[in-house]
Amino acid sequence: MYDVVIIGGGPAAVGAAVYIARKKLKTVLIAKEFGGQSIISASIENWIGDELLTGFELAQKLEKHVRTQKGIEIIAGELATKVSEIPGGFRVDAESGKFFDTKTIILASGSSRRRLGVIGEAKFEGKGVVFCSTCDAPVFGGKTVAVVGGGNAGLEAAVDLFPYAQKIYLLIRSDAMRGDPITQDEVRANPKVEIVYNAQTDEILGDQFVTGLRYKDLKSGEAKTLSVEGVFVEIGAVPNSELVKGLVDMNQFNEVIIDHKTGATSKPGIYAAGDVTDEIYKQNNISVGDAVKAALSAYNYVLGMKRQSPAAEVSNG
Amino acid sequence: MPNVKIYTTPPCVYCKMAKAFFQENSIKYEEVDVAGDAKARQEMITKSGQIGVPVIDVGGKIVIGFDKGRLSELLNIK
Repeated sequence: MYDVVIIGGGPAAVGAAVYIARKKLKTVLIAKEFGGQSIISASIENWIGDELLTGFELAQKLEKHVRTQKGIEIIAGELATKVSEIPGGFRVDAESGKFFDTKTIILASGSSRRRLGVIGEAKFEGKGVVFCSTCDAPVFGGKTVAVVGGGNAGLEAAVDLFPYAQKIYLLIRSDAMRGDPITQDEVRANPKVEIVYNAQTDEILGDQFVTGLRYKDLKSGEAKTLSVEGVFVEIGAVPNSELVKGLVDMNQFNEVIIDHKTGATSKPGIYAAGDVTDEIYKQNNISVGDAVKAALSAYNYVLGMKRQSPAAEVSNG
Repeated sequence: MPNVKIYTTPPCVYCKMAKAFFQENSIKYEEVDVAGDAKARQEMITKSGQIGVPVIDVGGKIVIGFDKGRLSELLNIK
């Protein structure tokens, strides 16, 4: 039986691994891939200690850092799919059919891109529907496209498209842009952008490739169609918490609720950090810090020295 | 060894991962940057039915995205 299973390959998982490695616990890290969600970012300027690096460089650094830790087993390319309780701990099932029994878990499974869930979205993925704007914006040179989402990700997708697209519709479900004011200004000032507020995307149209998008004007209730060849979906994230559903408490967004002092979930022995949790600021630097808390708490738990109130420590003798 | 051609854009990270993978395994490849080249872009879309990078042509077989398993299979890596 392992002492600790770390689930994930992003900043939180790596942060936990580096700290756990110093504790000489029997540990395995299970990661589908390294780097976390910012792997597709063209430039990261707020990773503390590096004034500028790409998401790919950050991913490489994280992977290298975890691989140089002695005494941690690493299972890469494997997705943890389910956590269940067993006597004395937990079992983590993986995609390949392998399983790992452990006393504690540090859940750092992050989050995934939220999808619209409308007709045509899945059918036309890679055929005009884009989930990596950084990657694919240059492929839409001279085209008319739509960006769905008025938060930072949507605004940044529009900015990615400035040098390439001929016209950019920015569809926002509410009546206001969110996102950083500096990016809002940039988007408003660009003549290629037409902002459509109160727009609920209902269907992505096409034949072999995307040819249009149908949305409902939430004010008038009218259905409208735009002629576009690309639809960039940038509507936020959903936590990868399915694997612990029913085992730990979650909020209405399916984020795992943690004690923000310790990283503990509602289930003793399971700790969590990063974007899978109810941490309100989804940031690489915060994920690392939270993961360190989770790692140290897991260590204390394994030692049977759970941090308790002085009174409780006294009563334990 | 089949001819390997990879269609890329400069900011695409999965393209970089694929190229790093080729380099690690000493696979020669030709890179086509489709960002500024409408003709190459159309060639990629026609070949793959895909508007997105990377598209990798391994001796006429089309791989969409950085699919390490599929590339290893087609290139006889490990």
